[in-house]
Amino acid sequence: MARVTFRNVWKKYGDFAAVKDLNIDCPDGTFLSILGPSGCGKSSTMRMVAGLEHISAGDILFDDKRINDLAPKDRDVAMVFENYALYPHKSVFENMANPLKLRGQDTGRIKDRVTQAAQLLEIGHLLERRPQELSGGQKQRVAIGRAIVREPKLFLFDEPIAHLDAKLRAHMRGEIKHMQRTLGTTMVYVTHDQLEAMSMADQIAVMHEGELQQLGSPREVYNKPVNAWVAGFVGEPAMNFLTCELSREADRLSLSHPNFSLALKPDQAGCLNGTTGTVRMGVRPDALAISMTRPAEPVITGEVFVTELLGGDMIVEVQLADARIRVKTAPEFAGSPGEACYLSVNRDKWHAFDTGTGRAYF
Amino acid sequence: MTDITLSPENSLRHGESLFRVRQLQDNVEARPAPSRIAEPARLNPLPSKAYFFWLMAPAIILLACISIYPFFWMIYMSLHEVDIGSATWNNFENFTKLFTDTRYLKGWALLFQYSLMCLALQIGIGVFLAVVLNGARFEKVLVTALLMPMMMAPIVAGLVWYFLYNGTFGWYHWLFQSLGLLDAKSILASPNTAMLGIVLVDVWQWTPLITLITLAGLKRVPQDQLEANMVDGASPLRNFFSVTLPNLYPVLLIAVMLRFMDNFRFIDSALVLTGGGPGNATKILPIYLFEVSFKFFKLGRGAAIALTLLVVTIILGMILVKVFDRQQTRKI
Repeated sequence: MARVTFRNVWKKYGDFAAVKDLNIDCPDGTFLSILGPSGCGKSSTMRMVAGLEHISAGDILFDDKRINDLAPKDRDVAMVFENYALYPHKSVFENMANPLKLRGQDTGRIKDRVTQAAQLLEIGHLLERRPQELSGGQKQRVAIGRAIVREPKLFLFDEPIAHLDAKLRAHMRGEIKHMQRTLGTTMVYVTHDQLEAMSMADQIAVMHEGELQQLGSPREVYNKPVNAWVAGFVGEPAMNFLTCELSREADRLSLSHPNFSLALKPDQAGCLNGTTGTVRMGVRPDALAISMTRPAEPVITGEVFVTELLGGDMIVEVQLADARIRVKTAPEFAGSPGEACYLSVNRDKWHAFDTGTGRAYF
Repeated sequence: MTDITLSPENSLRHGESLFRVRQLQDNVEARPAPSRIAEPARLNPLPSKAYFFWLMAPAIILLACISIYPFFWMIYMSLHEVDIGSATWNNFENFTKLFTDTRYLKGWALLFQYSLMCLALQIGIGVFLAVVLNGARFEKVLVTALLMPMMMAPIVAGLVWYFLYNGTFGWYHWLFQSLGLLDAKSILASPNTAMLGIVLVDVWQWTPLITLITLAGLKRVPQDQLEANMVDGASPLRNFFSVTLPNLYPVLLIAVMLRFMDNFRFIDSALVLTGGGPGNATKILPIYLFEVSFKFFKLGRGAAIALTLLVVTIILGMILVKVFDRQQTRKI
């Protein structure tokens, strides 16, 4: 087990910087998820940890030991690849035994460990098969088995469940999380799926265009996004953004929009710290409540554009003067398109971002 | 980390697994009710067999003219004493005599010797060159340059090497003799070196083909398998033998198949270089066949030899295809 530290890490391909000045400290035993869209540098980051890419600048440390110049085989990490990377000419047993064999362990011990790992993963009956005879989910378990037969300092998982079907993926999320907690090994898990990161990780590092946007627990990243990009990327359905004017009436600061004017709470007004002009208001679909009758409190008025029933929830798209926003509500909602509706905002759960930089005020 | 990780007693409740597959499958595979949809009363007709036959007829007729007819004519000839204008049945004598024909039997031995030497050298050198060239700077230019021998007509290659080997003015002859590797006799004139002489020409001309095929194969070796093996703890050399080479087997098998069949057929350069000599030291079977048929004009016996050569080629080819199929089914 190891603590992993990125210290001012850069990855450059020619003039293009894939990873820019990355600083992350991942304590021993942590499940760290690196989250971002494709091309954000997350895979480059992982490959630098594995030793498959040269570290252009900065250092990566395992337990305060610099590992920049170690060959992959000397880093003592185990990696699970997106396409599983099983050896097609070897049986499942040989695939799983490979890391032990390469480290010169004796046959009896290899057999014990592979059998144990296979038992844990419930693939004991597949040991004689070859990878092409396995289903996607089985291949993925073999790949994980190959990683856990050894006791590496660190697990590196590169989108390991991206190719599974939705049901199996949901199942594997729980299983991988359970496995990591059980083994207690530090894990770096790369994914583009915010749901995976949210549901599994202790710490999420959100990356965009090579830069670390935010590092924090899933709760922090979801509830306190540091900028509009993180706020928009994390959460499904995505956060709604509306451009609002800041207006001051008496000593109360309000967000004004053609469809509404809502007062900020005092501490939120404090966060704006004298800003004037426009801000981007962000509010998640689940922080809005929709009703067809006008409630007493100040509300957003709009009209129903379309409704999407998702089974247990309903998403209502509401047309405002200059935008459409999505609201999550109960499936009993009965509005039809074109009807006027009223939205109330949970003002503990809304956000304001700088229109230019996207930085979050609160 | 200590041993507790993988011991179920310590880390997990007994009997619990990390991945509860079977339960999951039970969940997923809830069976739908049996179907109640009736079969359609009438199926749309398929095109008739005659239709497919006529589609293929032109190709079959052409093939029959240029290949099947001569093939059966060869079988006919192999069973007869053939002279210009006449053919007499001779009770399989063409075949029975082969078993006592020492030059025929030696021809086989020499052919296998020749073919195996060519294949071993070509595969060895070809793969080595491909690995060196793969991803090298100027790869395309170098590969193009390397391909040049292949573009040459085999007979021309044979002639060029004939002059290079020549005992009077041959450059190689001079070089090897100066190095003390050769006595006064020229390379092709000595029974000890003549075989090597014709093997070298084949290797020179056809190694580039192996390199080309291997290079294509190398581009297909999955990068993630190489990387997984590196992370698993393999050195580059180990990585080559345990990941790259197994992934190359299918293309190498194709290369072996192509080349061994060529060796069994192409005798242009060997014919120009030694014509089977000195003595019978390089009289591989196809050369002997050529002599019997077209020098001594024993067409019946020639046909019999050709038939045995064909049968052995087909059997060896089928064995390779079988091995190849087994390799293919291993691919994901």
